[in-house]
Amino acid sequence: MSESILEARGLGKTFGGLVALDRLDLAIEKGRITAVIGPNGAGKTTLFNLIAGVYSATTGEIRFQGMPVNHIPAHKRTAMGIARTFQNILLFGNMTVLENVMTGQHPRSSYGFLEAALRLPKAHREEETISLKAMRYLNLVGLGMYAQQEATSLPLGQQKLLGIARALATDPKLLLLDEPGAGLTTLEKRALADLIHRLSEMGISVLLVEHDMPLVMGIAQWVVVLDSGQKIAEGTAAQVQKDQRVISAYLGEEIE
Amino acid sequence: MLRRAKGNWTYFVIAALLLFSILIPFDWFLGRYTGLVILIGISTMVTVGLCLLMGYTGQVSLGQAAFYGTGAYVSAILSKTYGVNPWLAMLIAALATGAFAYVIGYPTFRLRGNYLAMATLGLGVIMWILFRQLSQYTGGPDGMAGIPYLSIGGFVFNTPFKRYFLVWLFCLVILLVSQNIVRSRAGRALRAIHGSEAAAESIGINVTQFKVKIFVLSAVYASLAGSLFAHHLRHVSPQSFDFMASVKLVVMAVIGGLASVWGAIFGAATTRILSDELLLRFGELDVIVYGLILILVMIFMPEGLFVKLKDVIAQWRLRYEQRGTKT
Repeated sequence: MSESILEARGLGKTFGGLVALDRLDLAIEKGRITAVIGPNGAGKTTLFNLIAGVYSATTGEIRFQGMPVNHIPAHKRTAMGIARTFQNILLFGNMTVLENVMTGQHPRSSYGFLEAALRLPKAHREEETISLKAMRYLNLVGLGMYAQQEATSLPLGQQKLLGIARALATDPKLLLLDEPGAGLTTLEKRALADLIHRLSEMGISVLLVEHDMPLVMGIAQWVVVLDSGQKIAEGTAAQVQKDQRVISAYLGEEIE
Repeated sequence: MLRRAKGNWTYFVIAALLLFSILIPFDWFLGRYTGLVILIGISTMVTVGLCLLMGYTGQVSLGQAAFYGTGAYVSAILSKTYGVNPWLAMLIAALATGAFAYVIGYPTFRLRGNYLAMATLGLGVIMWILFRQLSQYTGGPDGMAGIPYLSIGGFVFNTPFKRYFLVWLFCLVILLVSQNIVRSRAGRALRAIHGSEAAAESIGINVTQFKVKIFVLSAVYASLAGSLFAHHLRHVSPQSFDFMASVKLVVMAVIGGLASVWGAIFGAATTRILSDELLLRFGELDVIVYGLILILVMIFMPEGLFVKLKDVIAQWRLRYEQRGTKT
């Protein structure tokens, strides 16, 4: 049995009386591409936000690399190595493409107001590293040539890639992708799948929440299926596709 | 070729502006406006802080006059009543105001949503009342007079001519420091917070901490400006720090363009000239003018009048250069 980078035990979240996620056990294996699928309202986004630190869990606990992270705020989880993208991308519209990615280097640099105000050597040094690394990530996702453009002037597909580059710039060990394929053309999806494969080869564990079944089945090495806040199946793509409970969750059950 | 021409053009403009500003306080030039230009410099210092806070970070302060006033009164009371060296008084005022802003800012920024506007609105009113009511320290509604001048060794800043250079030196340092901050890791973090707090948090930015820091910095700028104000006019009174003063500061920041540090000079100058020279005869009706300016700027040029003007000039230049290449 190989090591898991993130583990959830008995993880639950209720909003008022609504149980969004019900005592979920989950292990995300290191270096693997894991996908969470499920119909609307299954609790995918809730799970995602619990891992990213946007919500705090009602029950259970999350361990990242063996460390309990329940009470660690989102920005510190990023520093620990959990990065995320957003379904609605949330790029910084008031910045260039390159600056967006440079901002992602925040937790990997340390100079602050004072060093910046007085232009101390440390600021200069770090700034050089930041822009070099940002450029490298931008090239990785294939946006190098758009570095100086305004971020929101890019078409949607490239904005999604930029969102990933920004998250990558935090040097994550676990990358959470929130519906990366939504709104993309077939061609763009192929490029996205290719990118996710390359990230996995670089040793980054990937967890994605996705609606697009062909995309999930094409890249996910492990699939977790949620329905009504509970895990109803998990396994390889082929295993999950044959699972009777998964089929009924998606297609509904026949009335006999 | 074109780029070199552009570079020369910029240097020429900067040199001309510099020469112009050095000549301002001479009697044969604009000497009679020295007092006004000093006040513009002082207002610019406060406005730069507001630009960082509002324009870059997206946090609205409606009580910046409270910090401006705190700086002025702490400086005035320490140097006049207790005989503290004015420079030391200025430093103490800045530190105290910064600490004060931290105490206000920290709990406010922990709340989700923009509560700063409300908190600072209340703060502005409270401080104004305190300036009026703590009359044994502040001199009440009449204020305090006879505040000592700043001096270095035997050199006393006792004429507007001397203070003009002192104030604008401060102002220039604050502008440069702020520009450096804007173009740094911290500056990007601030703009990220403005862009999307959720996204900023997701890339490891401690949103609350950065908001508190920039709020404290803006308060320190305001305090330094207040101290200079006190030692310049040698008289402080509560009406310089009332709610209208805070509103005018917001107008300055908005006209200056919320996303441009240097625009603060333009915003402060326009508003000061309006309020000190042009609108005096309108009395209290000047409020209407400020309201109109805010509305019009926000509707037609949300990036600020200064930024808009810069765009227009850039377009003219482009057209001019194109015509030049054709012939």
